[in-house]
Parts: sequence; C-alpha cells; structure tokens
Amino acid sequence: MEGTLSDVSQVFDRFKAAFTRNDLSTCTTLLSQLKVMLTGFPSLPPLYCESPTAIHELTLARDIFEHAVVLSVKTEDQDAFERDFLQLKPYYTDTRDLIPPSAQEYPILGLNLLRLLVQNRIAEFHTELELLSPEALENPCIKHAVELEQSFMEGAYNRVLSARQAVPHETYVYFMDLLAKTVRDEIAGCSEKAYDYLSLQDAKQILMFSSNQDLEEYVTEEHPEWEIRNGCVYFQKAKESAPSKEIPSLQLINQTLGYARELERIV
Amino acid sequence: MATQDVEMKDSAAAPSNSSAPSPPPVLTHLKNVSALIEKGVVTKEVRLMIRAIRHIMTLRRKIKASHVLAFLKQLLPPGSEVASRLLLYFPKEDEKDMEVDSPSSTSQTVPSKHTILPELEIFAYLLVLIFLIDQKQYNEAKNCSSAAISRLKQFNRRTLDVLAARLYFYYSYSYELTDSLVEIRGTLLALHRTATLRHDELGQETLLNLLLRNYLHYNLYDQAEKLRSKAPRFEAHSNQQFCRYLYYLGRIRTIQLEYTDAKESLLQAARKAPASARGFRIQCNKWAAIVRLLLGEIPERTTFMQNGMKKALSPYFELTNAVRIGDLDLFRSVADKYSKTFSADRTHNLIVRLRHNVIRTGLRNISISYSRISLVDVAAKLRLNSATPVADAQSIVAKAIRDGAIDATIDHANGWMLSKETGDVYSTNEPQLAFNSRIAFCLNMHNEAVRALRFPPNAHKKERESAEKRRERQQQEQELAKHIAEEDDDEF
Repeated sequence: MEGTLSDVSQVFDRFKAAFTRNDLSTCTTLLSQLKVMLTGFPSLPPLYCESPTAIHELTLARDIFEHAVVLSVKTEDQDAFERDFLQLKPYYTDTRDLIPPSAQEYPILGLNLLRLLVQNRIAEFHTELELLSPEALENPCIKHAVELEQSFMEGAYNRVLSARQAVPHETYVYFMDLLAKTVRDEIAGCSEKAYDYLSLQDAKQILMFSSNQDLEEYVTEEHPEWEIRNGCVYFQKAKESAPSKEIPSLQLINQTLGYARELERIV
Repeated sequence: MATQDVEMKDSAAAPSNSSAPSPPPVLTHLKNVSALIEKGVVTKEVRLMIRAIRHIMTLRRKIKASHVLAFLKQLLPPGSEVASRLLLYFPKEDEKDMEVDSPSSTSQTVPSKHTILPELEIFAYLLVLIFLIDQKQYNEAKNCSSAAISRLKQFNRRTLDVLAARLYFYYSYSYELTDSLVEIRGTLLALHRTATLRHDELGQETLLNLLLRNYLHYNLYDQAEKLRSKAPRFEAHSNQQFCRYLYYLGRIRTIQLEYTDAKESLLQAARKAPASARGFRIQCNKWAAIVRLLLGEIPERTTFMQNGMKKALSPYFELTNAVRIGDLDLFRSVADKYSKTFSADRTHNLIVRLRHNVIRTGLRNISISYSRISLVDVAAKLRLNSATPVADAQSIVAKAIRDGAIDATIDHANGWMLSKETGDVYSTNEPQLAFNSRIAFCLNMHNEAVRALRFPPNAHKKERESAEKRRERQQQEQELAKHIAEEDDDEF
C-alpha cells in the first residue's frame, strides 16, 4: 500500500505544479490518472476500511478532489464541477470524525451553493443548506451565497450585481459572471410585465448594457416580441386573466354528472 | 414523538382484579395479554395482536420492575437463553420483593413447557424494552433492543409482524435517546428490505418511517426523498404510521419548496393525529404554519390557540403577526427574539426564507391602499435597509408584478407605481373551481368513511348459510318442477 501512496503523492505534486502554472490540459490528464489510482485505496468511501495509512490516504484524496473542483471552475466545466463535488462531498460529511477539517471546505461548499443558484436549482440549494451547521452559515463564503439567494428571491437584483465586487474567493468570479446573465434574463422577464414601455436610455440602464447597440442586439435575439420605436422599448403584453366570456359547458356537465353519480351511491 | 404512541382510545381493558385478589392486577393484565397473543397466533388473527399491544400501552404507566420480573419468570422457561439474558436487566434485590408480592406465581410456572412461542418471546423482549425506556435506562434499552432484533431476524412468521413493527420502533427510539441513530441505519435498511420481500406491509410502513426519521435527524433531506420516492407504497395499515409518514413527507416537501403539497401533508398529519399525541400535533402545526406563511397565506388565529399548544406555538404566532402586517422590522425582531427556539425546531432556514414574503405582504398592502405611490415612498414603507432603496424597490416591485403578487404597473419616467383596479373574481371561473374542489373533498371523505367501516368477522357466514339454504330450496323447487313435468308427461 505504501508504494501506491507515494506514487499518488508524486503524481499529485506534478498535478499541483501544472496547476500553479495554469497548464490546464496537463492538469486534466493527470487528474484522470489520479482518480484511477485512488480507486486502489480501500480506506476511501464507500468502504472505509481501517488501515494504518487511512488518515493519510483520506486527506490526500480529499485534497485531490478539492483541486479537481477548483480545476473544473477554471476550465468552466459545470458538469465536471458537479461530478467532482459529489465525489468530494463524502469527505466533508462522513469522514468528519476521521480527519481534521479542511480549510477549503467552506469556500467549496459556498461555490457549490452558488452553482446551484446559477443553474436555478433552488430546491437542491435549500437541501444543501439544511446540511450546514449554524457555524458554517456564519462563514463569509457561505453567507455570500445565502444572501445572494435572498436578494434573488426578493428581486433586489442590483444587490446581486453589486455582490460581484465583494466575492470572498477568486474562484467565485466565474459563477458570478454566469449569475449576472441569469439576472439580466430575470430583469427582462420582470420588466416585460411591469412596464408598458421604457425609454432606450432607461432600458439600457436597467438591463445593464453599455451601448444601445448591445441592447438592440439583445432584444432581437432574446425578445423579438419587443418593439423599439420613437426611442422607446414597447413591451407587447398579452394580458391574460381576462374575465371568461364563455361558460365551460362541457366541463360543467361532466362535473354535475359526477356529483349525481356520487350522490346516487350515497342515497 | 413518543406521545403519539399513547393509544387513541382506551381499549376495553376490563379490570378483572375483583375476581383474583391475590396477584397484583398488573400481573393479571400481563397474563391476559400473553393469553391474547397466544390466541392470536392460533387463530392467525392480526386484530388480537394489535389489541394486545394496545393493552400494554395502557398498562405502561403502572408497570413496575417486580411485575415484569414475575411475569418473565412465569413466561420464560427457566434456564433458557432468553430468560438468562432478559433477567440480567433486573437487579437481584427485586427478586425478594417479587416473591413477597406474588408467591403463587412462582409455583405456577409450567416446567414441562421448554419452548415458548416466538411471539411470546419477542413480546417478553418488547416488554422489557419498554420498561427500560420508561425507567430511563437508555443504554440498557439499546443493548436489549439490539439483542431483540438479532433474535427476531431468526424467525419468519407472519403472526410476528405486529409485534415486530413495535419492536422496530422501540429499537430506533432507544438509539435516538442515546443519540446514535446513525449506527442503525444499515440495519434498518436491511430490515426494510426483508419486510418488503416478505410482504410485511406493517413492517415496511414502520421501517420506512423510522428510516425517514433517521435521515431527517441528520438533515439528510436528499437521501430521505430518494428513499421515499422509491419505496413501495400501499394503503396505510396503521393510522399513527400514516400520520408520521405525512409529517416527514411534508417536511421534505417544505425544504424542496413544494409548499402546496407540503401544506396538504402537514395539515392532514395534524388532523389525523390522535388527540393525545400533543407533541406530534404541535410539531405539525409549527411546520404547517410556516409553510402557509411561505405560501402567502395567513393561518387563522385559532390554529395557535388550540388547547395545550398555545405556549409552544406562541413564537410562530408572533411571527405570523409580523408577516401579516408586512413589517420587516417587527419580523426581524421576532426572528432574533426566538432564534433559539427556531434553531431547536430546525426551522431557522425557513424563517430566513420568509423575509421575502414579509416584503410581498407589505407590498400588497401598499398596492391595495394606494392607487398611485412613488417608489421612494414604497422603499420607505417597506423599510428596505439598503444603499439604493429606490432601485431596489423598483426591481422588487417589478418581480412582484411578474409573480402575480400584485397587479400594477411601474411608470419609470415619473418613478411611481400604479395599481390596477382589482377585477371582479366572480367574473372568472375561480368560484366554480373552488366549489368543485370542496364538493370533491366531501364526497371523497364520505367514500373513505364507508370504506373504513368494519364488519363483525362472522357476518358473512350467515350469508353463506342462507346461500346453502337457497341452494336447497332451489333443488327442492327443481325436483318439484320435475315432478310436475313428469306428471304432465303422465297425463299425456
């Protein structure tokens, strides 16, 4: 076992060297090698066999997966992020009694929360949140994500955007950029319903475009139903919930027949 | 939760101490119960087993160490493995006590019976377990329950199912009391699988609930939901277990933001729960109140004023008030004031979610009262503590409009919000739909009530007799007809 452990450490050192050089393609190939090598350790989840080197192996494996998660952010690969994070998660939850906590734990958990927010998986976001202890919720990295979600739900979008300036960790920037796009779509959706029209100047400001050109491109691409004339953006409103003019007779007949049938059974 | 086990109705535990004054009444009761179990095994009648369990629950408060000891000595063959194991839990000095109590019982032991029914053996385990838990000897209870479960695994008898289900419950309960639930998760899963393979539906029901409880104890909502959605479902056998299931389901749904479904399950759980299960109903009501608030509904005042729940629900009552008024400051102060309670109830994260509902309600109130109001005033009224209140207010209002919380438009150039006239709800199909759902509910309730009726077990026998009679009669008629026909023939 000792031999493989030192092998893994060696490869991992090479990986870290490439990582600091920002040589992402080397990192990726080394990472897949590392993951294959990790399968040789019986002390890792889900087996948790006890062995004298178990603590060392667990710590090493956790370190590798933490790097993998950060790497996936750097390569901007969300699927890889999810995969790596799920592999990492048992090291945070199930091995708490075996190895000392990692300094990277909260930044990475916060990052995951942010990802769920960006992908609009709010239910999972809250499920993850329930797993965190009150101390964890006080951590700036986690708090950042939690407050973002709140502002997002409330509709205070400019608070979301200003949060980009105050990211607690450099890896967060990627997701914050993605979030900005989500926010823009949200704002567009809200504006459509809330305003009859907006001047180009205001629309530009609200939707955070730097030039009229960008705005017009966005409108033609995402919302072709909007109309730009006289220096204003008009939102076509298909106002629903108009009072129903006709009686849904077929449905009513069906219901009434249903009642009659049921009543007959009772009497 | 344990309160829920208190039985729903006082079953007819006939006090028969008048006839036999010498042994203590509790002991007589215990003997009656064991006789009931024996009868249940012989007749394979599940109902008798359930009744036996119910008797124990009513006796529970009266049982003393001496009673259990006397009963065990009588029931278990001396020198057997069970006896030696179970009697270990009782200190020696009680023995003397017992002999003074009921000298007749020891002489009554049946030495010829070397083996006892597995049902009775498990019942003995169960009795000791309940006794230990009541005596707060939790570590002993834990050991006892583990021994009982490993013994139980050696049997495969359908008559055991009812007792086994109870045993599972106390097994998990004893581990919960010693805060080591995580240890038995594997065992519970294995038991659930076995129960599924044996079509032991009561066992499945109980174990599924225990597993859900186990997961939720550690806030593992994801795993709980995965198990729940994949476990086989069938019509509930036990009302208590069904209530629990609904409660857990409601909690999972709440966390996953499916508030409408969550509300339904939680309210149903609160309604179905027996009146004596006060702790359980309080929990249900707490969660239901929050879910309703999250849905934008305001729970009625009476929910918080129910008998015996007033004190426990008061934090939630104040919270409701804050949401109803739509006052962010009040909301904040209530949340701070009771933050300990909310953390203990594990509702803290939900309360955080409520903030946006408070804003919504405030906004709705504003929208109703004013036909036109400037965004600066909106921000001031909502008390948004932010650097850019107007921009915040604008986007918050815009989102509320899109989500349909208020019916208004924003005039950006002038910076004000214009509320629209509220339409007449009776010009839409809404009342018809509401009416329909209520009728459907009533009809469904009636149908379920009819289905739940129980008939005496031998009622159909009479019918069969009459069927036999009818056959006889028909035979006679046929013969008669034949005779007539023959006579007819003769005439020709």
